[in-house]
Amino acid sequence: MQTAIEPLTMRLGKREVDIFPYWMALLGAGIVFGLVGAYNVFAYGLQVTGLSNQVPWGLWITLDLSSIALGGSAFVFGVIVYLLRIKHLEIIGKLAVILGFLGYSTAGMVLLFDLGQPLRFWHPIVFWQPHSLLWEITMCVVLYLTVLMAELLPVVMEHPVFSEHPLVKRFPILKKISDFMVWLAHRLHSLGPVLAVIGLTLSLLHQASLGATYAVLSGRGMWFNQSAPVQFVLSAMGGGTALLFFLSVVVFRIMRPGLVKDEALYDVARIAGAIVLLCIYIRVWDWAVTNYYSFDTEVSLQTQMLNTITPYSTSFWVGQVLFALIPGSILLMAKRIRNFRILMIAAILPAFCTVLVRWNYNFSGLIASITYDPFTPTVVLNTYAPTWQEWAIASLVISYWLIGFSLAARFLPFQKLSRHSDSAKKEK
Amino acid sequence: MSDKVQSPDKDGISRRDFVKVSGAVAGAAALTSVVSAGLNKAQAQHGGGGEHRWGMVIDIDLCIGCQYCTYACQAVNNLADDMIYNVVTTETLENGEEYFLSRPCMHCENPPCVHVCPVGATYVRDDGIVTMDYDLCIGCRYCEVACPYDVRVFNWRNPDEVSPRVPDFGTPEVPPRPRGVMEKCTFCQHRIDAGMERGLVPGVDDAATPACVVACPTGARIFGDLNDSQSPVSLALEAAKTPIRLREELSTEPKVYYLPPQRQSESTTEEG
Repeated sequence: MQTAIEPLTMRLGKREVDIFPYWMALLGAGIVFGLVGAYNVFAYGLQVTGLSNQVPWGLWITLDLSSIALGGSAFVFGVIVYLLRIKHLEIIGKLAVILGFLGYSTAGMVLLFDLGQPLRFWHPIVFWQPHSLLWEITMCVVLYLTVLMAELLPVVMEHPVFSEHPLVKRFPILKKISDFMVWLAHRLHSLGPVLAVIGLTLSLLHQASLGATYAVLSGRGMWFNQSAPVQFVLSAMGGGTALLFFLSVVVFRIMRPGLVKDEALYDVARIAGAIVLLCIYIRVWDWAVTNYYSFDTEVSLQTQMLNTITPYSTSFWVGQVLFALIPGSILLMAKRIRNFRILMIAAILPAFCTVLVRWNYNFSGLIASITYDPFTPTVVLNTYAPTWQEWAIASLVISYWLIGFSLAARFLPFQKLSRHSDSAKKEK
Repeated sequence: MSDKVQSPDKDGISRRDFVKVSGAVAGAAALTSVVSAGLNKAQAQHGGGGEHRWGMVIDIDLCIGCQYCTYACQAVNNLADDMIYNVVTTETLENGEEYFLSRPCMHCENPPCVHVCPVGATYVRDDGIVTMDYDLCIGCRYCEVACPYDVRVFNWRNPDEVSPRVPDFGTPEVPPRPRGVMEKCTFCQHRIDAGMERGLVPGVDDAATPACVVACPTGARIFGDLNDSQSPVSLALEAAKTPIRLREELSTEPKVYYLPPQRQSESTTEEG
């Protein structure tokens, strides 16, 4: 049985208006703006950005790291659904796969713009340099995107349009393709546990390596940090799962009432809350090690300089500690609170915090960089402001992400195949 | 116990499931060890250890900040006016006095930029020069972020302008690089290679010596083979009391040495 999908509506005067077309039009405008920027970047090169030799990584890298992190729920739920076999979270796991795919494909798109030679994007796959963290990340992301596509296909093929559309019935070739895709989707679905193990391996590797990308650079005091890889993994798991909870409430509770039990949603919230709190626990110890126990003059100089021009310390205490501690506790108590409005507000903060960690991490080392003067080493301040072209690319990829999510939320049934696998099991 | 995550059909977490998860983690560990094995191999493939080992000594007391080294470098390597491989800055001593710090690529023995390059576009030659393969570079700028000396330069625009330093400080000797690749000082490897073929000695014969060294009007820069005890650079290092290198605490082992200003020498000795 199909659950009816209730569109999101808005009251306009006396009428209830389906906001979907207007929402898509808005995102379409975002794409058009983005394409103008994309033309600019490809035609004139990276000179149109605000990047410089002193701040070579900017808004795009932050976007890239964040979209990968916010796709982190995919591997968490791969494990939950296929390895731990927690059945009542299975449908939510499908949404996690979609978020994972969108996150990683977004990251791939941003990276393409960020390369000085976009047409050489395939070089790391052919010209191996296994000592480089960026090489390892590239390989992992490429492989994991493949895994995500394999996990995504069964979820997308659930939609009846691929098997029941009149065109499919009229043209035998389309029918054959459709049959093959459905067959492939079933095969891939039965490979779920294998894909989950591969996904877990690849995800842990590259999510950690994204932190290590910065953390191995001994020349930049604030980055050189042993706990960064762990922090990056945990904040991706926490922030990604918090975002998954927020969107699950929209997709399942508001748009498909009755499909997923509230208890399952509470469980997602509690998983997110637990990981967020664990992450902040490690983050605070890390703060203590670098700022309190350490006598590293470079790091304290850098922190001082950053505080003169930015709310660096404030953004740490408010953005990364409070925005994780309070919502984390609320999410952990989801079963006591039982109020989705509060839980949704609480869930959006750790997701925001995940982005903030990456923004701060990237810029702290670049904006306040240490000089090489052998006699009186100091910290110099560099400046960076994204240009409109950079914002346009941001608009392009964020709109892409939202369109992908909106289409899935609006049209995908989110249920059929699991019943298939159930019946298959019963046959056994 | 009511807090435990439980499915409605009482499908709890069995030992079997737990073993599966542990297996996944073990798989991750195995893959990591495979990658790290490859990593050691990559390290072993690093250059260096050849017959020659080119190095440079810069005497800070002799540097007058005229920037001829920068200009000659720009002319020979055909760089746009805002692209600078060799940076001259004004820095301060501990006693507040100012001095000029001329900074080419340090050509580290243990270069962070080479370790991080995802495609192996930057590498160490057998003679210790850290150089680029511009055809491999994807322009990710990780090397630029990794370099502790801020000497890597990204080519932001099309190479369609001739350096304004041509012809006063030299003529272009290397082909232009495409837009969007990372560039760097190569110790004028083209001069060294061509000169050696003709039997010249880099550091002694001008035609085989980096342009910045030749252009320096005060002789503040000395170039040569660190493996040859009779080369100008080795003799200068032997005569020097306390040669220093930039940011030695990072263990990058630069091959560019500085002779600290004499007015500073006492406090430097104490520091060392």
